[in-house]
Amino acid sequence: MAARLLWASRAASYLRISTFPRGFASVVKDLKYADTHEWIKVDGTSAMVGITDHAQDHLGDVVYVELPEVGSNVTQGKNFGAVESVKATSDINSPVSGEVVEVNSELNNSPGLVNASPYKDGWIIKVKMSDEGELNSLMDSDQYTKFCEEEDAKH
Amino acid sequence: MGASHFSLGTGCLASCPVLMAILIGHPEWKHVSALKQLSTTSVEMKLQRSIEIWKMGIVNYLDALKLQERLFSDRKAGKILDVMLSLQHPPTYTLGKRRTYHNLLVPEADLKAIGAELHYTERGGDITFHGPRQAILYPIISLRDIGFGARKYVEGLESAMIELAALYGVKAHAGKVGETGVWVEDRKIGAIGVRISSGITSHGLAFNIDPDLNYFKHIVPCGIPDKGVTSLRRETKMELPSDELIHEQLIQCLARIFRFSDLQWKQEPSSLDTGELK
Repeated sequence: MAARLLWASRAASYLRISTFPRGFASVVKDLKYADTHEWIKVDGTSAMVGITDHAQDHLGDVVYVELPEVGSNVTQGKNFGAVESVKATSDINSPVSGEVVEVNSELNNSPGLVNASPYKDGWIIKVKMSDEGELNSLMDSDQYTKFCEEEDAKH
Repeated sequence: MGASHFSLGTGCLASCPVLMAILIGHPEWKHVSALKQLSTTSVEMKLQRSIEIWKMGIVNYLDALKLQERLFSDRKAGKILDVMLSLQHPPTYTLGKRRTYHNLLVPEADLKAIGAELHYTERGGDITFHGPRQAILYPIISLRDIGFGARKYVEGLESAMIELAALYGVKAHAGKVGETGVWVEDRKIGAIGVRISSGITSHGLAFNIDPDLNYFKHIVPCGIPDKGVTSLRRETKMELPSDELIHEQLIQCLARIFRFSDLQWKQEPSSLDTGELK
């Protein structure tokens, strides 16, 4: 399924047409969001992190993902890795602090999963959170949707 | 810096209709009357945006990198506004974050013999060559302030080079997906390699005015085999003015595309002569 999504997204991108016709980027309920366009899905004390649909759309086709080492620490608001698209490397920032317990090594072979499936197969790292209170400073899906609208209105 | 502070100030003022109404009536605020023309809806409002342009001549790659790092920190801390470096490099090969070393076709040791350096960077993009007569622009600007993502920013850099080429009657175009850069038919005339961290850009673009294209034979340029490189000199039928003028034209194209309305030009000869950067 992921491979097919990936192929469809790349083909559409090459032809410069939309795969999934929609006027705005999708936002998933029950996730929390950082103002640097990363999402986080909490599951007990651990959390899954990736970048949003809005982010992947603004980046272009991702050709490379720089992943952190398992066991390394991440800090809320600080970068833990990077993605490359359209000859630009862009930092990815962590929405929470903690220890990296797993990375999505599929991204080494298929970096385009970040574009094709930003909230599911394109997840980037799993973090064991050191301070769940940090989640309070993140946005919910409604706040994030509004945030994106305001950002896009700037230009 | 007075002029740029003023333009920022009026921009901020203009976003507050009530304050504006009070000030326009005030006899001392003559300049504010010009703001009467501005729309009060924030979406249509275009803030006056300033950028400082540093004209630098030929700069060693590492020196330029250190300067960018310093300016990036200052920009991130809000100590300075947007800035752009305009310069050329001595013969230099550079690799991007992915370290695509396999696209260097000669041993690294041989590069010194041909008078070139090799550097590793954190920018996006593949291996490329920089040298004299190639215009380099390094904008260090906040993309968050204008709500741009990587793709839109890079498209802007491509458009600037396309517009510049058009000034000389050259029909250039952006590469298709996966081939970022500027091409004349299938010959590459402009390259891009950017780094975006905390929403602020560094590195930028390289446009071939008339560099020695033989240097490109030692690499697979930008990792794309079977495509040649070219220059403005090769593609235009017109006589070319000085590099300095071409740099200025390229800067003007970029400024227009990114809607900088206030350009502050700064010459930096002293930093080059001493080899030291303050």
